Amino acid sequence: MSSYAGADTTAGASNPSGANNLSATEIDAHQRAVSYTCGDCDQDVQLRRGEPIRCRNCGHRVLYKKRTNRMVQFEAR
Amino acid sequence: MAPSKTDQQWSVDFENARKHHLFSNPPKDRTAYPELLELVEPHIASFNAIFKDGGQLEEAIKDIGEKSFSDRHGNRLSLRIEKIFYDKSMLPPTNKVVLKPENRKVLPAEARERHSTYRGKMSARLNFKVNNGDWQSLDRDLGYVPIMLRSSRCHLESSTPAQLVNYKEESEEFGGYFIVNGIEKIIRMLQVQRRNYPMSIRRMAFKNRGPGYSEFAVLVRSVRPDQSSQTNALHYLNDGNVNFRFSWRKAEYLVPTMMILNALVETNDREVFQAIVGTAQSEGLGQRQFVIDRVELLLRAYKVYGLHSRAMTRAYLGSKFRSVLQLDELTSDEDAGTYFLRKIVLPHLGADNDKYRMLLFMIRKLYSLVEGESCEDNPDTLQHQEALLGGQLYGMIIKEKLEEWLNSLRYPLNEWGRKQDWKPFTSQQFQTDFVPKILARAQGEDLGKAMSYFLSTGNLVSPTGLDLQQTAGFCVVAEKLNFFRFISHFRMIHRGAFFAQLKTTTVRKLTGHSWGYLCPSHTPDGAPCGLLSHLAHKCKIATQSVDVSAVPKLVAGLGVSDQVSALLENSMVVQLDGRVLGYCSKKQSKVISDTLRYWKVEGGHGVPVEMEIGYVPHSNGGQYPGVYLFSQPSRFFRPVKYLPLDQLDYVGPFEQPYMSIAVTDPEIVSGDSTHVEYDARAMLSVVANQTPFSDQNQSPRNMYQCQMGKQTMGTPGTNLNYRTDNKSYRIQTGQSPIVRSSSYGSYGLDNFPQGANAVVAVISYTGYDMDDAMIINKSALERSFGYGSIYKTKVCDLEEGKAGRGKKNIQKLFGFSPIGTVTAAMREKLDEDGLPRVGTMLQNGDYIAAWHTVSYDNATGEFDNKDGNTQFFKYKDDELAFVEEVRVIGSETGTDPLQKISIKLRIPRTPVIGDKFSSRHGQKGVLSQKWPATDLPFSESGLQPDVIINPHAFPSRMTIGMFVESMAGKSGALSGQAVDGSPWQFDEKNTAIDHFGEQLRKQGYNYHGNEPMYSGITGQELSADIYIGVVYYQRLRHMVNDKYQVRTTGPINSLTGQPIKGRKKGGGIRVGEMERDALLAHGTAYLLQDRLFNCSDYTKTTLCRGCGSFLSTTPTISEFTRKKRGALTVRCRRCAKLADNAAPKSEVWSDGQGIRYHGGDNIAVVAVPGVLKYLDVELASMNVRLRYNVDR
Repeated sequence: MSSYAGADTTAGASNPSGANNLSATEIDAHQRAVSYTCGDCDQDVQLRRGEPIRCRNCGHRVLYKKRTNRMVQFEAR
Repeated sequence: MAPSKTDQQWSVDFENARKHHLFSNPPKDRTAYPELLELVEPHIASFNAIFKDGGQLEEAIKDIGEKSFSDRHGNRLSLRIEKIFYDKSMLPPTNKVVLKPENRKVLPAEARERHSTYRGKMSARLNFKVNNGDWQSLDRDLGYVPIMLRSSRCHLESSTPAQLVNYKEESEEFGGYFIVNGIEKIIRMLQVQRRNYPMSIRRMAFKNRGPGYSEFAVLVRSVRPDQSSQTNALHYLNDGNVNFRFSWRKAEYLVPTMMILNALVETNDREVFQAIVGTAQSEGLGQRQFVIDRVELLLRAYKVYGLHSRAMTRAYLGSKFRSVLQLDELTSDEDAGTYFLRKIVLPHLGADNDKYRMLLFMIRKLYSLVEGESCEDNPDTLQHQEALLGGQLYGMIIKEKLEEWLNSLRYPLNEWGRKQDWKPFTSQQFQTDFVPKILARAQGEDLGKAMSYFLSTGNLVSPTGLDLQQTAGFCVVAEKLNFFRFISHFRMIHRGAFFAQLKTTTVRKLTGHSWGYLCPSHTPDGAPCGLLSHLAHKCKIATQSVDVSAVPKLVAGLGVSDQVSALLENSMVVQLDGRVLGYCSKKQSKVISDTLRYWKVEGGHGVPVEMEIGYVPHSNGGQYPGVYLFSQPSRFFRPVKYLPLDQLDYVGPFEQPYMSIAVTDPEIVSGDSTHVEYDARAMLSVVANQTPFSDQNQSPRNMYQCQMGKQTMGTPGTNLNYRTDNKSYRIQTGQSPIVRSSSYGSYGLDNFPQGANAVVAVISYTGYDMDDAMIINKSALERSFGYGSIYKTKVCDLEEGKAGRGKKNIQKLFGFSPIGTVTAAMREKLDEDGLPRVGTMLQNGDYIAAWHTVSYDNATGEFDNKDGNTQFFKYKDDELAFVEEVRVIGSETGTDPLQKISIKLRIPRTPVIGDKFSSRHGQKGVLSQKWPATDLPFSESGLQPDVIINPHAFPSRMTIGMFVESMAGKSGALSGQAVDGSPWQFDEKNTAIDHFGEQLRKQGYNYHGNEPMYSGITGQELSADIYIGVVYYQRLRHMVNDKYQVRTTGPINSLTGQPIKGRKKGGGIRVGEMERDALLAHGTAYLLQDRLFNCSDYTKTTLCRGCGSFLSTTPTISEFTRKKRGALTVRCRRCAKLADNAAPKSEVWSDGQGIRYHGGDNIAVVAVPGVLKYLDVELASMNVRLRYNVDR
């Protein structure tokens, strides 16, 4: 856990708190495409940062985020 | 399956297999629940009526007619609207990326998901000409106007259930509402005065109109073919004169009635006299002295105007009203007068002669009222009311906005003239400038914006007021909390916001007139009681005029004459939609109405069955008699059986009071009853119908159930995944009730279950069921009895409130700053795109989206972040939630990067102590204990109750229906059959108790529904047999988790130091005067001190004992003792004296400025309320000093 957990904003690249930072590939995450599902034709849509939001196939304007691949585990009460 | 059509008949049985099949295979031909669609018919049909051929809008354009403007050279510019075009909802032309036409449709589901408006483009073809030139035409864009779902402009209009499911809708989506900014809005129906029927009114307020005015008037709400209305009133003056009153653009005007009569047709005094009093040869003229005197005065009083012909009178009227009517200078006075008559005087009638005859009838009715020959009409009964439908109001607003748009051209025209040195309209300059410099600058061209505003706020912005009594509250959100609530919005009808303020309760009274039209038990208790009603479930509302063109001829054939007789009984009027067809005798009128009735039911005579034949018989001082025929829209009507032909007839609220309609077959009286009800349950609303055995309950309990049914956590719909309601409730384990009413199946209520069948024991078991508390079996709860969730949608919008679109205007982007550092903590709930992970758990303060500022780089075409800062949207609620869906929302053009996301959160709500439950009989209670199953009482068969309620819930409330339901449910559960719980199945001879008791006995149970039970703790048999059965239980949406409010310390008001209020902000609950008094009376002084002082604005302050003031005490610096151990010493400045050399050095102190003092040390520390100090300061600022006497 970072000591920055409560902070609203993080400082820029000059921030030296490197210990908790993610690996180089993950810092580059914004370059990587994230895949969504089209709300109309149900196809996969790969989107990068700043790209227009629409389905490449049908031009639909609502995309759904997919369920996370991470393990989702909660304490049962 | 064979290609037979989808079955539309439903019984009370469960029919599980059939319903299951319908769910997995939505029908491809037609809906299985046609009755559901009929419920919203008035909304959709009234909307369709606006835009159909010859519909409301075309009539409106006709009524608006030509608008003309003149320049300073006598040239005239004329404008008119030729046609209005209204497209379906499509992507705008700016979207160039979607090519397939079928993909360019914007479906309602998209509007919901994108939080946008479901709307279509509207445009107008405008014609204009200068002087007598040719009409030139051009098309103008009027913006995007919201579309009603499933109307003729909607993509879903005639979709089958299978298609609807494909369109992400409910399989039984019935439309009737609008989607504005993603919120479903509905225009409420309004009860208004019945159209085209002159009503006698006696109101003391009329006297205030001026000297001479009496309390008598005849009022008619005259409705034009375009459904807009104009109220005309005739006021009786104490001397016998009659004045005509109307209001135009919110101002009131009065005109002598005789002037209007003379302007309408070429007439003379003799004609008018005979038309009011009666022809000279008619019998009983001698008894009419009262009227004769007044008519004489009426005629004489008019002489002072000296107007002698029709043309002259019109010119006179025209000269007076020309500017009021916004006519240009080139119109002649006479034409202006004609325009006045067309627009204002009885505009429901086209012909001047009809208007003339109607006005004369109104004068007769007025004199009759004054004379006491007939009584006043009650405007608060449904007899004199009709429904103003959503579509009609919508069309009226469109009409008004169009007219205003044309009128507003006056200003840009004037502006242009001023700039162009008043060049004539005939000049070349005008031709070139008209479109870009004049039309383009007209106000109010964006009709779409105006209509969206109307729907989203419900406010009517109107220069005329549309002849309505209110300007706000026309639209409500169609909340989809559960299905009852949703459907009720469409059946809801409001009396008007104006009546809510009235101190008298007459408007709220339930009268017999509304039998069969308005539900007697489905109205809220409290402030809107009786003002907000719901339609009975079989009540229909006419949405179009029926063809009555043959009726005048038929009536003439039955013998009516133009001549009026002196006596009322010899001159009964026959009217069709406010047009006088003629007069006849008392006997004839009965024959006419009976004959028309027979023909109308029989059919084939040109008398449509939907026409209303209001026969008001002649009486001694009763309602003014006559035969009034109504064929126009907005009327309530309902089906009943006509006995002479044994066929369907429709009756309306105007005729109903004078008809003999038997409720049941045995009630039919030979020679008297003409009709019989098909089903008495038709008088109840959809929701009231679902209360089982409601006939056995005390009536207020049925009202409570109607309210609570609408607050139940239920199943809002089956397309939950595609809905984005701000908040929606859902019960996870809904069941079909074992006891249901006969209409349950045909309304498809099993698609939206709202509760569960529970085994209920009526027993006082532990004391935890006192005072409407209930105990629930803990094991039942663990088996998910009543388990529900709340779905909340949070919208994160980066360009909130900004209009600018396009790449250059984008200043923020979702995601982490590309040049900033991303810590693991930031990524805990967020994905690499800066959006939350679907499925993740959120707690207060968690990040739900990341964003950073950007600027568009023209060279590279990329968005650059300069500061490296990442900012976050946070989850601010206190409750734990799970991310259910994340919607990534693009722009309409399909070219913009991500600016808006919508996150749906799920909040689990397992029942906790304090949550509210209720049966379907107005018996609500809160969960007080989750009792372990092992300790609950059990029956001989080992059965344990799910719910325990206290027997004291029954004696005063008398909800016998709940007992019956309990037995019926038990018997149904044992046999596996659904039980018909409709009201009015049983009577005194054939009782419900006996019916279900016998069934229970046959099933091996006690006839009375009681069973011996054993204590769960000791195992001993309880000394009394326990009434135990199966009752359907609803979980209400009021949950302690949304309500609990505690605090010891927390946020305070910075000015007073007292705790702030509001649960959301962590504030406190006020201990007010009455609470204080109670605590005082109990002698709980310490508690009082704690609440009012210690936990509030407890403040320690210093006070000077000498002068008794807070203010002059001040922290000081001692000259010699450095840094005393304690805090700074405080001295009173006021009591201190300037230190001279004589002062002892150790007692001298100085203030911040180094001025030396001594003395003023008689200081006390006291605890006072913070506001007291504040008050002291406030008073000091006004030169008022408070002095506190301190003894110790």
